[in-house]
Amino acid sequence: MDFASLILTLVLSTSASWARMFIALFLSILVSLGIGIYAARSEVGGRIILPILDIFQTLPILAFFPFVIFIFVGVLPGFIGINAAVIFLIVTSMMWNISFGVYESIKALPAEFDEVSKLYGMSTFERLTKIYLPAAMPRVVEQSVLSWAIGLFYLVTSEIFSTGSAVYQVKYGIGSQLTQLALGGNTEGYVLGLAVFILFVVATRFLFFAPLERYVTRYNAETQRVEEPKFSDRVKSSILHNRLIRVPHIVIKMRHKAGSVARRSIDSINIHNGPGRMSAVESSIKRHATLIAVVAILAVIAAVFLQNNLISYEAEALAALAISFARVWITFAMILLVSVPLCIYLVFKAKNSNSYLLFFQVLASIPATILMPIIVEALKGYPMHNEAIAIAVFFLSGIWYVVFSIIASTKTLPASVFEVKKLFFVNGHNAFKNIYMKAIFPGLVTGAVTAIAAEWNASIVAEYFTSNAASGGTVLSAVQYGMGKLLDTALSANNLVLMFVALLNLVAMILIINSLVWKRLYNKISVIYS
Amino acid sequence: MPLIEVKDLRLYFNNGQAKVIDGVSFSADKGQFVSIVGPSGCGKSTMLRIIAGLIRPTSGSVLYMGKEIIGPVTGISFVFQDFALLPWLTNIENVELGLSRFDVPDDEKKRRAADLLDKFGLGGFANDYPNVISGGMKQRVGIARAIASEPNVLLMDEPFSSLDVLTAETLRGDIMYMLNSAALSVNCVIMVTHNVEEAVEVSNSVVILSNKPAVVKEIREIGLPYPRDKHSEEFLREVDQIYATLTD
Repeated sequence: MDFASLILTLVLSTSASWARMFIALFLSILVSLGIGIYAARSEVGGRIILPILDIFQTLPILAFFPFVIFIFVGVLPGFIGINAAVIFLIVTSMMWNISFGVYESIKALPAEFDEVSKLYGMSTFERLTKIYLPAAMPRVVEQSVLSWAIGLFYLVTSEIFSTGSAVYQVKYGIGSQLTQLALGGNTEGYVLGLAVFILFVVATRFLFFAPLERYVTRYNAETQRVEEPKFSDRVKSSILHNRLIRVPHIVIKMRHKAGSVARRSIDSINIHNGPGRMSAVESSIKRHATLIAVVAILAVIAAVFLQNNLISYEAEALAALAISFARVWITFAMILLVSVPLCIYLVFKAKNSNSYLLFFQVLASIPATILMPIIVEALKGYPMHNEAIAIAVFFLSGIWYVVFSIIASTKTLPASVFEVKKLFFVNGHNAFKNIYMKAIFPGLVTGAVTAIAAEWNASIVAEYFTSNAASGGTVLSAVQYGMGKLLDTALSANNLVLMFVALLNLVAMILIINSLVWKRLYNKISVIYS
Repeated sequence: MPLIEVKDLRLYFNNGQAKVIDGVSFSADKGQFVSIVGPSGCGKSTMLRIIAGLIRPTSGSVLYMGKEIIGPVTGISFVFQDFALLPWLTNIENVELGLSRFDVPDDEKKRRAADLLDKFGLGGFANDYPNVISGGMKQRVGIARAIASEPNVLLMDEPFSSLDVLTAETLRGDIMYMLNSAALSVNCVIMVTHNVEEAVEVSNSVVILSNKPAVVKEIREIGLPYPRDKHSEEFLREVDQIYATLTD
């Protein structure tokens, strides 16, 4: 292939990928607006939708991809089926943070707006176009920028995913194109493709999102200058309205809970033994009901497993889960070792941290999975290089979440924190312990949650990719055991039951970690930092 | 030699296009309480930060005991308008932060901080986080932190403006007591305020600034004996005079 036609192919493939991205972004925004406005406007809707969103944003959605492909390709004809599957997957990666953005901006609307709309007899449609949409758009665009970066990872990954198998092949896409170039040993083509990809990323940022940001925030500049938020508000907002990273809904929920506890105690003062007490009884019933429900579900699952002799599948799934779990958390420890000092440097020491950030943003927008061929080449021949490759991909997939989350949450640190540090000569270990670590902690936790979800996603790919590449004839790397590997095996064997058992274990593990680790940390943060 | 001497201070931006402070000079001696009053946004707080060594002026200088200030010095401490307590530290840990400059064991820091909190009537809140105590209590913690570093000069940036009237009154009394107490290190207070009555109530000397750019309109010595009766004729006359100069 000559140079010009190679370039043309690369640009066309990238355009095809970008078309999928824009369709997915459009769908994500539509769905998010619906969900977000409904959750914010309806008591019941909020109670049902928010916990679901919470769970979904910590789940490694890629784990469901084999399953999704299976369904979509089965239902829709080949070309449409696989593309629908890819777009569906990208939507599921993009929409959560946008939905939260919509929810929060509608919730933040002053009650007067509603009263005005009633006074003037606005129809639902008018209310939507004149109040809700303009109110939600700034956050929608802001979150879309983040969603785009997340979506790129899913796009490329799902394209790579399907490269090996003829049945599930995504034709025309930069992800599959690059993989083919790498597998074919065409280094120049691969590097060129990477360059085209980065060019598209940068162009989208500056030609699509930047004008959009300017357009939707045209009213904000004025109000921001007038309002001088208070110290505590600023700290609060730094945790709650994290700019770059998905806002953990749990934090908001905790705050709501704290508020309602306070309200309840006021209620119980006002009306002794009245509604205050009732609600205590009610909540204890609710607690027990939840416990009973969980036990019942577990019992049913156990019964189904025993009935159908699924114990061997369960053992297989648990073993795979344990191995992937170890990989994910060991890599997370490495991420902390690098990102914490890096962020402390950027936030508290660096003179021109903005130019560093721009560099990191471009770097972070390159999905780790697209770099796999480079990583494989770099680590070739080292002992345990298969593990090292997996861990390198995990690392690159997760680290930026932590870095950008910390940077975003410390952006609103009041200037007085820096002044206190200087005025009272807080240096060395004292500064590290009492200022640096504590200041980055909320951002660190938020970032950690998403980083670990990203690592799980990467685990599905990193383990899967290798075996697929093997089926294409070239063994790039082969991790022997793990969750992704198991899901892949189950897909290629058409073993839906094993896939189901594996996914069930994965989801259960995520939910347990959520309540044992993250909820506690969020709780701690909401007590101290708000 | 005055404790603090401000000499022809200027702060310009955009190569002199925007002038924030345009030649301010005054001094503060041992035992003095100096207030700086001026319209909002005239650069009072900025000037205090220059005295603290947090911001460098475009030209002019600030001398502390005859030595030019080029960064924060150990003899000067600061009380913030918004308290500036670190939200992630308990009240006692915030006060301990003020002891950072001393090379003493942690136990000793804890003991000194606890003593100070007791002195300010906050002993029972030592292990709470700042978000559960009231604004007045927060500012007491802020003052305790400033006192902990044993300053010679105390700079206060609108310390009472975000507090209710009664709380502010009590705290002003505390500050006056500190200035006159031999047991505490504070020998001089420089306070920025936009509250003229407050300035007349506590200060020996009021520096009156003009708006944009800030220049000194008048330095007014107030010779009334302490404690001052806010309803006396002399008091009200001083207040009126300062208002007249301000709005002139």
